[in-house]
Amino acid sequence: MIGEFIDGPLWYFSLTAFVIGVVWRIVSIVRAGVRPDLSIARGSAGRGAMRAIFSRFVPERTVTTSSRLQLIAGYMFHVGLLILLFFAQPHIDFIAERITGLSWPAVPHWVFIVAAEFSFAGLILLWLHRVLNPVTRLLSDMDDHIGSILVFLVMLTGCLALAQSHEALRLIHLFLAEVFLIYFPFSKLMHAFTFVMSRGYTGATMGRKGVNA
Amino acid sequence: MARMKFYCDPERCIECNACVTACKNENEVPWGVNRRRVVTIKDGEPGERSLSVACMHCSDAPCATVCPVDCFYTTQDGVVLHDKDICIGCGYCFYACPFGAPQFPEDGAFATRGKMDKCTFCAGGPEADHSADEHRKYGSNRLAEGKLPLCAEMCSTKALLAGDANVISDVYRKRIINRGAAVLARGVSYRDASFRAPRSTGGKSSSQE
Amino acid sequence: MSMPATDKTASQRLSVFGLCLLAVCLLLFSPLVDAEEKSARELPGVKVFNPAAELWRDVRQREAPVSGKTQVGGVETGVLINATGDRWRQFRMDELIPVGGYVIGAIIVLLLIFYMVRGRVPIEGGASDRKLPRYTTYERMVHWFIASVFLFLAITGLILLFGRPMLIPLFGKEGFSIIASACKEGHNLMGPLFLLALVMVFFQFVRRNIYQKGDLTWLLRGGGIIGKKHVPSNFFNMGEKTMFWLLVFVGSLIGISGLVLVFPVLGLGREFMALAHVGHAIGALLMIAVIIGHIYIGTVGMEGAIEGMKTGYCDLNWAKEHHDLWATKAIDQGEAMSNEAVASLNGEKTSTAPPGATIQGAGK
Repeated sequence: MIGEFIDGPLWYFSLTAFVIGVVWRIVSIVRAGVRPDLSIARGSAGRGAMRAIFSRFVPERTVTTSSRLQLIAGYMFHVGLLILLFFAQPHIDFIAERITGLSWPAVPHWVFIVAAEFSFAGLILLWLHRVLNPVTRLLSDMDDHIGSILVFLVMLTGCLALAQSHEALRLIHLFLAEVFLIYFPFSKLMHAFTFVMSRGYTGATMGRKGVNA
Repeated sequence: MARMKFYCDPERCIECNACVTACKNENEVPWGVNRRRVVTIKDGEPGERSLSVACMHCSDAPCATVCPVDCFYTTQDGVVLHDKDICIGCGYCFYACPFGAPQFPEDGAFATRGKMDKCTFCAGGPEADHSADEHRKYGSNRLAEGKLPLCAEMCSTKALLAGDANVISDVYRKRIINRGAAVLARGVSYRDASFRAPRSTGGKSSSQE
Repeated sequence: MSMPATDKTASQRLSVFGLCLLAVCLLLFSPLVDAEEKSARELPGVKVFNPAAELWRDVRQREAPVSGKTQVGGVETGVLINATGDRWRQFRMDELIPVGGYVIGAIIVLLLIFYMVRGRVPIEGGASDRKLPRYTTYERMVHWFIASVFLFLAITGLILLFGRPMLIPLFGKEGFSIIASACKEGHNLMGPLFLLALVMVFFQFVRRNIYQKGDLTWLLRGGGIIGKKHVPSNFFNMGEKTMFWLLVFVGSLIGISGLVLVFPVLGLGREFMALAHVGHAIGALLMIAVIIGHIYIGTVGMEGAIEGMKTGYCDLNWAKEHHDLWATKAIDQGEAMSNEAVASLNGEKTSTAPPGATIQGAGK
């Protein structure tokens, strides 16, 4: 009944909402357009964009010294989450069964667990920093907190369901993941997609101006 | 109802491990799980004896006492069973069990214990008798068919006895009395049987010229 | 919060060997005696053995469990009798669960009584208009990190320990199994984070937690609980320092023994695992009891105590009363700030003071 609803219709609804929402957000950003740059190009915009998208993964020197903890915690969380999300056996099985129909190699169970540890430590520390540091606290709005807490709850319920033996635990995890998917396109969580565009945009602007940054 | 027990006669067990194999095959247990094992003590020394050990289906089972989720129950036949739907795989029963009966499937490094598996006296589990679920989780349910555990049924030397405790103790008592009689007849304890002097082999040969 | 005593009686407690094995042995013994008597009557001098019973007795009565050979792989498969199992069962069922329940119940009752007698410890001088910076953002992060992980582990651990007597009657076996499975997995996964947090806490706070001269006086005067006078102390008082070292040592014990329990694949013997469990349980209950007291002081027990951990700044009068050695030094170094300056630094909107005043205050 409620389990079947979560496992069936709600899953497909949330997936649809997620896909349509993300596409809509990206299209609307792209459609907003770029102001035409009439100056003479001093460099390649495309190359600048590509460089920025990747070079920004390496933090600036000021960041590595002044907010080292955020940097480390940030990487721990994001890399951990990436592994959890796309390379854990249960997730691959689920995605293969429900969406793509094809699977890819999973990481061993112990890598999965280590990734979860890192991810949790990173997320908790980052959220505490967000709440305790006056600057980030003022910068944060409801959206940030809801996003963090949703991700945390999805991860927590996922780890509670690790035994993979109780349907109820799996459904709670799935339900929160569905809420997360529905919430995703309408929040800052979109940065998972839009970081490419923002970096690409600044990179292209810089590249065209011949700025090597 | 009868009270079901296992009993292994160390004077008869020849460490053939057929009970172990029979159990694995009958119950289709996963890798790494051995519900029954044969232990040989004083291996290669005088007084070597072997015993086949599995869950002893204790009357006051320590595993059931320590289980944090209370998943054990005792059937009317005195068989100690557990519910794998309730088991959380904590391993406490393994620490408490004197015989090392509880087994845990492991899936590699960092794996938490899977759900406990142990000898069911070939009596299945809480699911309906002979259902697919029961077979998948607990293996075969011979008791419901009126059969006894396969390990004992196919023991070639009838060292491993299984069944009604009264009958088993009867069988075993008779064996002991017979062995006592053999001592009387030969004048030598069966315990020293292997060091017994050969009887009148003088002048004997396998080939007569 | 008293624990229902387990249904084990003292007589039942005695019997590892009141197991099926002995049941059979007993069944065997009565006929055996008959047989022996009979043979003894007929032919004196002949002893009849019950080989199985003797073998089991042999195996069981040795100092260490007799280990044999077996074709079956796994942990201690060659051991016929696990000699420590029953002692461990007795510890868990008859000692740990009831005593642990009483200890935690007693702590809560004691704190309730203490609160009723003593009430909330106020800041005697009242809240002042100035504050002292007490903890940096990183220090507070580390504190709340270990706090959240500890709380999660404590709650899941207590559920696993007391769930059978207390929660199964409420949720039923199936329901509790879901909770217990979630708790077990969550407990195992979060456990290593506690060790990480512990390392962070250790390096962040260790220098201020080394015992000093005044600490003995603090202890002798009961930390100010006895009598009305506050006892001088530095950044951390003797009680806080003791809690820190308890956390470091007992916390490491809990964490490391927990790791042992989480890795059954290491193939450690049952005796070692049972020992790890004993250490884990006793350490954890001790820490939980201590932390309940810690939480009591922070929340209801003392006015102004949690402020430093919440906002990073503590009231000047509170600091003078509770940590005067540190407060005097901090004031001398000009660390005191006006409330408005602190509010401004913390990004709280102050309606009373104009922005100019807060900046001035901050520069002080």
